[in-house]
Amino acid sequence: MIHLRGISKRFEGKRTVTALERLDVDIAGGEMVSIVGPSGSGKSTLLNLIGGLDRATEGDLEIDGATLSRLTDDQLTRVRRDKIGFIFQFFNLLPTLTAFENVALPLHLRGWRRAKIDERARELLKLVQLDHRLDHLPDELSGGERQRVAIARALSVYPPILLADEPTGNLDTATGAEILKLMHGVHERLGSTVLIVTHDAAVAESCERTLHIRDGRIVDDIRRAVSPDVRQDAHHKVSRV
Amino acid sequence: MMLWRLISWPYARKHLLRWLLTAAGIVLGVGVFVGMHTANRSVLAAFQETIDRIAGSTQLQVTAGEPGFDENVLEKVQDVPGVRAAAPVIEATVSTREGNLLILGVDMLGDRSLRNYDLENSDAAIDDPLVFLAQADSLLVTKTFADKTGLRVNSRLPLRTMQGDLTFTIRGVMKPGGLASAFGGDLAIMDIYAAQKFLGRGRKFDRVDVALDDGVSLGEGIAKLRAVVGPGFEIAPPSSRGEQFEQTSRIYSVGSNITSAFALFIGMFIIYNTFAIAVTQRRTEIGILRALGSTRGQIRALFLGESAVAGLVGSALGVLFGIGLARAMAGYIGGILTEVYGVAQRAGDIAIDPWLIGGALIMGIATSMVAAVIPARAAAAVDPVKALQKGRNQAVGERENRLRQWSAAGCAVASVVALALSRNTIIFYAGFVLVVIAAVLLAPALTLWLARLLRPLLRRARPVEGTLAADSLIQGPKRTSGTVAALMLSIALVISLGGLARSSYQSIVEWMRIALNPDLFVTTAESVTARTFVFPASLGDGLRGVPGVAEVQLVRSVRVNVKGAPVMLIALDVRSMEQRAKLPAVEGDFNGMYRRTANGEAVLASENYVRLHGAKLGELLEIPTPSGMLHLPIAGIVRDFSDQQGSLLISRDVFKRAWDDDSVNVFRLYLAPGANEADVRQRIIDRFGKTQRLFVLTNGDVRRFIRQLTDQWFGLTYVQIAVAVLIAVLGVVNALTVSITDRRRELGVLQAVGALRQQIRHTVWMEALSIGAIGLALGWALGAVTLYYAVGIARRDLIGIEIGYSYPFDTALLLAPVILAAAYLAALAPGESAVKGSLVEALEYE
Amino acid sequence: MSKRTLLLSVVASLTIVAPCIAQSGIGAQNTNPRQIMEEVQRRARSDSQHYEGTLEVIGGGNRIATKRWIYDRLGSFGASKAVLRFVAPPEVKGVGLLILNHPERASDQWMWRPNIGREQRIAFQDRSTRFFGTDFSFEDLEERDVGQYDFKFESDDAAAWKLESTPRKKSQYTHSYLWIGKNNYTVTRIELYTKMGLMRAIDYRDFEQVQGVWTPRTTEIGDVTRNSRTILKYDKLEYNVPLKDADFTLDALRRGT
Repeated sequence: MIHLRGISKRFEGKRTVTALERLDVDIAGGEMVSIVGPSGSGKSTLLNLIGGLDRATEGDLEIDGATLSRLTDDQLTRVRRDKIGFIFQFFNLLPTLTAFENVALPLHLRGWRRAKIDERARELLKLVQLDHRLDHLPDELSGGERQRVAIARALSVYPPILLADEPTGNLDTATGAEILKLMHGVHERLGSTVLIVTHDAAVAESCERTLHIRDGRIVDDIRRAVSPDVRQDAHHKVSRV
Repeated sequence: MMLWRLISWPYARKHLLRWLLTAAGIVLGVGVFVGMHTANRSVLAAFQETIDRIAGSTQLQVTAGEPGFDENVLEKVQDVPGVRAAAPVIEATVSTREGNLLILGVDMLGDRSLRNYDLENSDAAIDDPLVFLAQADSLLVTKTFADKTGLRVNSRLPLRTMQGDLTFTIRGVMKPGGLASAFGGDLAIMDIYAAQKFLGRGRKFDRVDVALDDGVSLGEGIAKLRAVVGPGFEIAPPSSRGEQFEQTSRIYSVGSNITSAFALFIGMFIIYNTFAIAVTQRRTEIGILRALGSTRGQIRALFLGESAVAGLVGSALGVLFGIGLARAMAGYIGGILTEVYGVAQRAGDIAIDPWLIGGALIMGIATSMVAAVIPARAAAAVDPVKALQKGRNQAVGERENRLRQWSAAGCAVASVVALALSRNTIIFYAGFVLVVIAAVLLAPALTLWLARLLRPLLRRARPVEGTLAADSLIQGPKRTSGTVAALMLSIALVISLGGLARSSYQSIVEWMRIALNPDLFVTTAESVTARTFVFPASLGDGLRGVPGVAEVQLVRSVRVNVKGAPVMLIALDVRSMEQRAKLPAVEGDFNGMYRRTANGEAVLASENYVRLHGAKLGELLEIPTPSGMLHLPIAGIVRDFSDQQGSLLISRDVFKRAWDDDSVNVFRLYLAPGANEADVRQRIIDRFGKTQRLFVLTNGDVRRFIRQLTDQWFGLTYVQIAVAVLIAVLGVVNALTVSITDRRRELGVLQAVGALRQQIRHTVWMEALSIGAIGLALGWALGAVTLYYAVGIARRDLIGIEIGYSYPFDTALLLAPVILAAAYLAALAPGESAVKGSLVEALEYE
Repeated sequence: MSKRTLLLSVVASLTIVAPCIAQSGIGAQNTNPRQIMEEVQRRARSDSQHYEGTLEVIGGGNRIATKRWIYDRLGSFGASKAVLRFVAPPEVKGVGLLILNHPERASDQWMWRPNIGREQRIAFQDRSTRFFGTDFSFEDLEERDVGQYDFKFESDDAAAWKLESTPRKKSQYTHSYLWIGKNNYTVTRIELYTKMGLMRAIDYRDFEQVQGVWTPRTTEIGDVTRNSRTILKYDKLEYNVPLKDADFTLDALRRGT
């Protein structure tokens, strides 16, 4: 599903900073991968590259058969909106829109019909157990509820890939655990490929594969069999960083 | 200072474009102010310089208004003890192929005791006054003019004179400097008696220039001269002519002052807007500063300091812009004044007044700082704890909102009260200001309301982009209300100016229909207003004899000083006018007023004369004439647009007696029924055209000319309108630039969740169009109110004429595409900047 | 008629300056300045005069401008009337000047300009200005009564007396010096002074007796301030020609007789 070949990312400035150095990674469809590493190790950069928010300095990145480096900005946007859902640490909901409208937004952007949008938005909000909060503005929701809306928004077109940058980072332990549980549930029900950037060991360990990044390189690639119990355990151990 | 360097400068550098846009309002406000005043001053200075240079060592000038006085007065003046020298002068501007030429008619024998005529090759025959005097076609020109036109001694220069087209001979070329530099060097010296003949002055002089003996004071000189020439004459130093002229050009200042005040006011909103946004954006930074121990006072000072610098930069640029503007305007204003008032001047260089510049700088800085007071206070009030929490917005103070609405209501009530008491000029103006303030205070609430109204419309047009654009307006009232207010004010200004122009135009057209109804006009120049030349009355008899002419009206108009102001005195056959072109009466006995005026017992005053010079029906006017003071009451007030300073209509018989002058400026001809206009015109030209300088204008020609003159007069208004629109556009650009920066994260999210770049652009564009539309709606509404005040100001202080209130729907309608197109254009660059740049950064942006 | 007028005016003085010292009743030893001047006047006396003058103005670079005029005078000393009319060059032809001298006050002067068709009074204030680009002024054209001056004896050599004259009435000049030839009582040189110092110097030359009057045929006047000079030569000079009062009026001036 996701193939990185010799991916490097450098930030040019007064001093050139190398964020990623010749990465080679393959992630199969339906995998749930956590990416861990210290601050500044390049894990968020990796996520941004995969999400098509940013372009690699070198190397080839293939998403579901599309080589991103060969795409125009608009083609990149199309790949992004058809194949990728984003979940941010700070939710990034539009404060002016209700929960329902925030979820409906990507569908509107895709030009769906009204009725279809309504149907899908309700479905998604039900999925994240927020069907009772449709008309609330982000300000009127708790942190966990906001992240649920954000997840529902990310899932709007049921993208094959879901990218989450510290999804529990801004939440308390209990809420973080709920969100993690929700993500696992989504992964299982929809079979999406999920990448989670996290600081939280419990969150990382709840995934079947963990990439350890340090100084722009992958230093460890751990695969584990994760039983529902471990996951359940992780859901409880998740902590706020 | 350290704080400034560490905090403000990096921020300003990062948002350079925004700061420049912010300062743009100040640039324009200060620019218009400096520009108009400098242009006025320059014209005035040029006029004064021309006067000074022409005056030479003249200490006093004896004048009797425009028609001049009999040449016998000269000998009387020369015989006054204490008078060292007295020399007659005739001054006239004539047009040549090379442009306007100021003809100075002097007596070459005696004039050298007052003026220096330094000639090139100053010996031999050229410097021979005998040849100069013996030959009536003699002219001295300046080196400047000679070089410009390639003329040399003995060259020929054709001029249109009252004797028809004649060729003059250059007898000498004056060295540059002194007299030869007057009127920008476009000056020619003619013998005074030749000037009398060729300029149709009869045996009259325009004035006598006097130099006194050593030891005789100006006061003594005036008293002695006054005793000899009588009270109808004015005896004053040459410089006093400049003062009169200053009064005339005052009209231009009033209008431009209002425009610059508006521009600054609008600029204030743009600045307020920018600072309000800056405070929101820099909340974290302020929080950190506060956490690190800076006081509220320091934070406030920081922002006020920034606004002062923005004001200084804006004012400095404004001064430069103004000087550029002045260069363009000076010629224009000078042209109008020459055209309308026959005042000879040439604004060559710009007269820069350091006090004016200093005042403008202070004005700009003060405006900027006042605009920043509220944002600076808000910045000082930032709670450091909340500010440091990421992703949390501090809500707009509900208290501030309420306060604003209450103040608006207060202002509105006060303005209504002021309206009731509007007989007092100060209260009237105060009411105007209160209305504007009320509108400005209400602007945010109205913007919100209109944005909510617009939301469904925008949504229907484009569900996502429309909703986002509308919501951005609704959620960011701080961001947009300043801009909307600026836009509203600009549009209101345009509506007022446009309405004023339209109403005046309608009034003038109506007046032309009534007053300018003769079929033909026989004039001395292509322009009806030129008074350089006059006809002898005898031509009237000749014209009466032309087949097809039914009636000839003889009109003589001269500018004289009444109640200390130059007024147009129009001498004509009042009875004939009553029958043919009865002017609408404003006040007075409608039938009796014409009879009394025709009998020479009274004058008719124009409405604008009465208003501008504070005269009343029945008031006894003192009109100076060469034969003494003429005392006549105002028998009636009529609507007449003959002159911007006001006009007085008197019987031609009275004029002939008092001025001993039967000359004529214009013959108004009514044709017999069935006579062909073109035929009669040709007959007149055939019969008199060869021996007499004359122009036969048809009714259409005259109306066209007056319309052109009106357009020229309103040209300044149109410049002001253009400035207003420009400021409005800048306001929109500023708001959008600010808005885009403010919403970078939001726009990043949109792109992250799948918005195409085109969709982002559409959002920005729709937001811009919405701002434009809301501004338009509010501006149209406010314009309806401000136009009412503009009409009042015009009546009281500008033109003195009761012009009807007529909302300029065409202008208003025209504004819609202009403003919306401008808003769209203004949105292009911000729209692009919204889709350019790193998404990652945008998402992390705070 | 014995002690009436002094002729300071250049043009007129040249024309009238007197001959015949031989028959003089006044002794050569007479040193009373007023008496000398009265004798000068007496000898130059004639009832009328006519001549054609040629005027050359020699300016900087020795450029010469030439004009010609015809001059007629009726009456003598103080009460005389004169008309001067230019005949050349063509551009000034027809311009005339009428001078009416009065014993008790300054003369009246009018200029006639045929091209403009009107006469112009020469204002008193303008009398000190140069007469049409020459080196003398309008004031120099008029006769003044001898009583309008005070005389002082200055010096005396074999050929001439030198007198100082001071005007009693308003004049541009503060004083002047006159040289009078002892042999025939003719004025040979005048130096005219203003507040600024020496202004003009006039030399009379080429004396000839015409109808018994010693008359200079050439006058040279130099303007010290301008560094130029004017030479006037007299042709067809006659005294006591028949002239009528009617020829010396404004009407006559306009008619251009």
